Amino acid sequence: MTTPKTHGIIAEFDSVDAIIAAANQVREAGYTKWDCHTPFPVHGLDDAMAIKQTKLPWLVLVMGISGCLGGMFLQWWTNAYDYVYIISGKPAWSLPANIPVMFEMTILFSALTAFFSMWIINNLPKWYNPLFHAASFTKVTDDRFVLAIESRDPLYGEATRGLLQSAGALAMEEVNPPEDDGLMPSKLKGWLGVVFSLMLLPPVMIASSMYSNSSEPRVHLVPDMDSQMSFGEQEASSFFADGRSMRAPIAGTYAQEDDHLLGEKPGYYTGKEDGAYLTALPVEVTQELMARGQERFGIYCGVCHGMGGKGDGAVSRRAQKLEMATWVQPADLHTDLVKVQPPGQIFETMTNGIRTMPGYARQIPVQDRWAIVLYLQALQRASAGE
Amino acid sequence: MADFTAVKELTDAQLDDLVHPPQLVQGTEKFHDITESVCVVAEAHRAPKAWYVAFGIAVTFLGILGAMIFHLVTTGVGVWGNNQPVAWGWPIVNFVFWVGIGHAGTLISAVLFLFRQGWRTGINRFAEAMTIFAVICAGMFPAIHVGRIWVIYWVFPIPNQMDMWPNFRSPLLWDVFAVSTYFTVSLLFWYMGLVPDLATQRDRAKTKLRKMLYGAFALGWNGSNRQWHRYERAYLILAALATPLVLSVHSVVSFDFAISQLPGWHTTIFPPYFVAGAIFSGFAMVMTLAVPARQLFGLKHLITMRHLELINKVIMATGMLVGYAYAMEAFMAWYSGNKYEGFTFVNRAFGPYAWAYWIMVSCNVISPQIFWFKKARRSIPIMFIVSIFVNIGMWFERFVIVVTSLNRDFLPSSWNYFTPTIVDLLTLMGSFGLFFTLFLLFCRWLPQVAMAEVKNVMPAAHAHGPDHEEDQ
Amino acid sequence: MTSSANIYPADDASAVASRASRIGLLVGVVGLAAAWFLGSAEDDHMRHFWMSYLVAFFLLVTFTMGGMFFVLIQHITGAKWSVTVRRQAEFIMGAVPFVGLLAIPFLIPLFSHDGVEHGGLLWSWVYPHGEHQALIEGKVGFLNREFFVGRLVFYFVIWSIIARYFKKNSLAQDADGDEARTVAMRKRSAVCIIIFALSISFAGFDLIMSTDPAWFSTIFGVYIFAGCVISIHALLTLSSMFLQRKGHLKGMVTVEHYHDLGKMMMAFTIFWAYIAFSQYFLYWYANMPEETAWYLRRIGDEWGYLSWFQLFGHFVIPFLGILSRHVKRNRKLLCFWAVYMLTVQAIDLYWLVAPNLYPEGSPFSMVEVCTFTGMLGLFVFAVYRQATKHSILAHRDPLMDQCLAFKNF
Repeated sequence: MTTPKTHGIIAEFDSVDAIIAAANQVREAGYTKWDCHTPFPVHGLDDAMAIKQTKLPWLVLVMGISGCLGGMFLQWWTNAYDYVYIISGKPAWSLPANIPVMFEMTILFSALTAFFSMWIINNLPKWYNPLFHAASFTKVTDDRFVLAIESRDPLYGEATRGLLQSAGALAMEEVNPPEDDGLMPSKLKGWLGVVFSLMLLPPVMIASSMYSNSSEPRVHLVPDMDSQMSFGEQEASSFFADGRSMRAPIAGTYAQEDDHLLGEKPGYYTGKEDGAYLTALPVEVTQELMARGQERFGIYCGVCHGMGGKGDGAVSRRAQKLEMATWVQPADLHTDLVKVQPPGQIFETMTNGIRTMPGYARQIPVQDRWAIVLYLQALQRASAGE
Repeated sequence: MADFTAVKELTDAQLDDLVHPPQLVQGTEKFHDITESVCVVAEAHRAPKAWYVAFGIAVTFLGILGAMIFHLVTTGVGVWGNNQPVAWGWPIVNFVFWVGIGHAGTLISAVLFLFRQGWRTGINRFAEAMTIFAVICAGMFPAIHVGRIWVIYWVFPIPNQMDMWPNFRSPLLWDVFAVSTYFTVSLLFWYMGLVPDLATQRDRAKTKLRKMLYGAFALGWNGSNRQWHRYERAYLILAALATPLVLSVHSVVSFDFAISQLPGWHTTIFPPYFVAGAIFSGFAMVMTLAVPARQLFGLKHLITMRHLELINKVIMATGMLVGYAYAMEAFMAWYSGNKYEGFTFVNRAFGPYAWAYWIMVSCNVISPQIFWFKKARRSIPIMFIVSIFVNIGMWFERFVIVVTSLNRDFLPSSWNYFTPTIVDLLTLMGSFGLFFTLFLLFCRWLPQVAMAEVKNVMPAAHAHGPDHEEDQ
Repeated sequence: MTSSANIYPADDASAVASRASRIGLLVGVVGLAAAWFLGSAEDDHMRHFWMSYLVAFFLLVTFTMGGMFFVLIQHITGAKWSVTVRRQAEFIMGAVPFVGLLAIPFLIPLFSHDGVEHGGLLWSWVYPHGEHQALIEGKVGFLNREFFVGRLVFYFVIWSIIARYFKKNSLAQDADGDEARTVAMRKRSAVCIIIFALSISFAGFDLIMSTDPAWFSTIFGVYIFAGCVISIHALLTLSSMFLQRKGHLKGMVTVEHYHDLGKMMMAFTIFWAYIAFSQYFLYWYANMPEETAWYLRRIGDEWGYLSWFQLFGHFVIPFLGILSRHVKRNRKLLCFWAVYMLTVQAIDLYWLVAPNLYPEGSPFSMVEVCTFTGMLGLFVFAVYRQATKHSILAHRDPLMDQCLAFKNF
């Protein structure tokens, strides 16, 4: 008859031979819920207890291979797929160069698996154990070998003591843990509760800021580039005598639009001479210039103004089809409003833009702009004949 | 308990006996004596006076390190001596130096375990601790040498708003993975070995605080044989993993240099040469630590002259490997017909850094030759001095490799001499402060010797019967 | 001067050994003769034959040097697991003088006036020509016929001296069981291993690396060494299994020893892969033409398949195959892998040499088959001939008890 309160019985031995012999006897007697506790792994005890080889190595192998493939995938995805760039002539997916990291990840995954799965399979950490309540159990980690048989073993009973005695036990002890053994002290529970609640704060804060609006500028974690040491425009500087960071142009500097210094007719660069629009083209009118103008008009202007200049370009038609409320129709270049404009004004409009039309100074070189003006004049004259 | 501080050193006759070498544990056959002699160190109310003195010095240097890093971060990398073309100066030399030292611990723990060398049990605990602390010192240098330490996390492949990823084709990134893996695995391996010993200290603890702290980290270990079975398997697997890891980490570190096109750097023997050199310097550091520790903490019966002589033999062997690599490099520098390579070798020996080169050769190649003599291998003062020389020599080896190849490479107009600054020097000294602070704390509070493993190699641990294992 | 109290008897395998050595000699002579005739049928001044002969010859060098390394390292470390197989390694090492005699025919390709358009029948620095002429002429102080022959003689003389010393002492220990011999051998092995390391490296440079005299690699000696070590453990596995099948070494070479031999084969396969990768990777990464030319020859259509085999066949497959504890403790499986590793060692040496002499593609034919078969036959002859005169077990080694007592994890 087992006593409900007792956990089991432990027997103490003082030599390796004794514990192995005792283990053999206990195993042969048919006990199943028992174990030996030793200060170091005793070789031969595994066989005496008939312990099967653990499956741990297979798990490690699987995780190791995942680490290897994971490493390969990581490097392929980051360097050869998501953010591709060539460096020092190496292909984007440089498999030889990926080997070191793949190797390290294989080892890392394998080692983490071996370590953590060993503790998990061993059911550790488990800081309470009924056996710790036995006074003689502390000697296990020193120099004694203990054989423990649990009371829940079907064979546990009076004979157990006798068996252990005959196996040569130096001492035996019944293990009777207190009622609240294994329960977490309420103080500890309280503290864990507090810690857990505090740990919930950061994700809550993050979530609340992600799904709300704020008129404040973003928090900038790495403000290195925000305040740079280089000088901004109009900034004061103590380095120069005049206190300015900006320097005046040197003698002989001329404006980009200084036509006569560059050998061009007045108004070539701006379309204006002395503030008034040019009324004639400042370039030689030739067949080539006209052809050039037609080509360039087709490239830059036709998309909005239409190939005939009627304001019905493909972009405009599309915008109207989509019923875009904010779309301003490009000007019909054959209206009187446009026809009355001198060439210089057309040139200026092309250069700087007007209303919602952007300036094309960056895309169309000066000579080409005059070619387009020439072609436009030809277009306007052609429609006048209709 | 017998007083082990008076244990006599092993005699020549005992050490010469090949068939029946002296027991790994001297002066006792009882397991309890192992427990006592190792645990009393941590349980002592006061540490030996020398410990306080050493700790004070170590913490001072740690403070200096902190000050130097603060100065570096607030002022910039210009506080170091790095210039053009020697853009990689002391920080990288120190990094390679410290990583190398760490390798001996893993070798002792893992490789000697795989070779069934029982003598490793006397020294593996603190060699592994040495590894972890050395790797901490090592990892610090690449972190602080990048310039903008506050964005060091950019080396990790973390999704970010810049939509950028680090460059996996760079050996600097392989270093990140290799050294982090090495640190992690060493820490796991060391901690795993500590758990049974922490359980021993937990069971002996007299105060509630000690019981709680040791107990918490002992994870409730109770010596169950079923647990030991899986533990042993995992230990073997970690040892089997740590072995190629040790080879790979210093090979990856050598790749920092060998993948370049610089003469003196780009040579295929670098990976195994660096690994051999790492083990060489690591064992020398183990010796430097073991000699005072065994004296001070009364561990001469666990770290016997047999252990010390074996360490010296390993130092000799790895020193020879390093010498072999020097010979191969020198021969190929001529044989290759590459005049830049040939010049580099002549320059190393006779150029502006010839002084560093000859310090390196005399410390690395010449000084360990004394160990051909038995008397020298078994003399405490000589082995201690040689171990210090070897460490100096190995630091200079990395210095010679890095600085001479950078200082004079292809274009003479780019040549420039490198001089370290006081910040360089104090940072290196400070790193020793970090190392020794951590190490002395370990010596004081944690079991310096792997008790469970030492007990396992004593004669009483072996069953007498048909299957029995002799001490190897 | 103590004697060990061992009670193990000598193991006389002279009957088996003499039969094996006679068959080996027959196969050797017939094989090489066939190779010679087949080679002379090809219209290339025997160039193909000489290349096969060189590779097969160097295979034997790696076997005997593997044996030497094994004996030396077991003595230096005082290892106990290897005592029962060490005598066989001593015989393998003891074949080195015979292998040295097999080097004499190299005088033909060295001093021949044929093959000038290739630079020489075997080593193209004999007649420097082509785009690397200036470079090779710069090395003529080292790469010239006289110094080359002198070095070869030197290697084999020194190897023979070392082999003789260790074999003689070990055999003498059979008679008197004197522990002092073990102590003396341990002491001497330290210096000898330094000589071994340098000599095998330079032998590798001379015989193998100089087939492309423009190329160089500082790790080449270590690469050759790795092959030597894998080979000796494979050879010891096969030899022990063969002798045990014939009723010898009963209870002397146990499953624990085979497990260790398997472990070493595995460990050094990984080591070989590490060295091979280091060499390839560093040259790939720096991409310098003088270094990559050698590899470019091996990754094109002509030889690419063999390089892939090196990766998968020489590393991945044996790694996965020998990984399991179960495999290492199973005779049939371990025997298979031992044969496999010796085959890939031969392929490895072929891969090192053939693309240098035949960049246009492999000339593999019956010439290679006959040469290799012949050389292996002669090797068996040279090794087992020694077993006819001496015990195949170092039965009075003082460490024998401990050798038989250990158990693997």
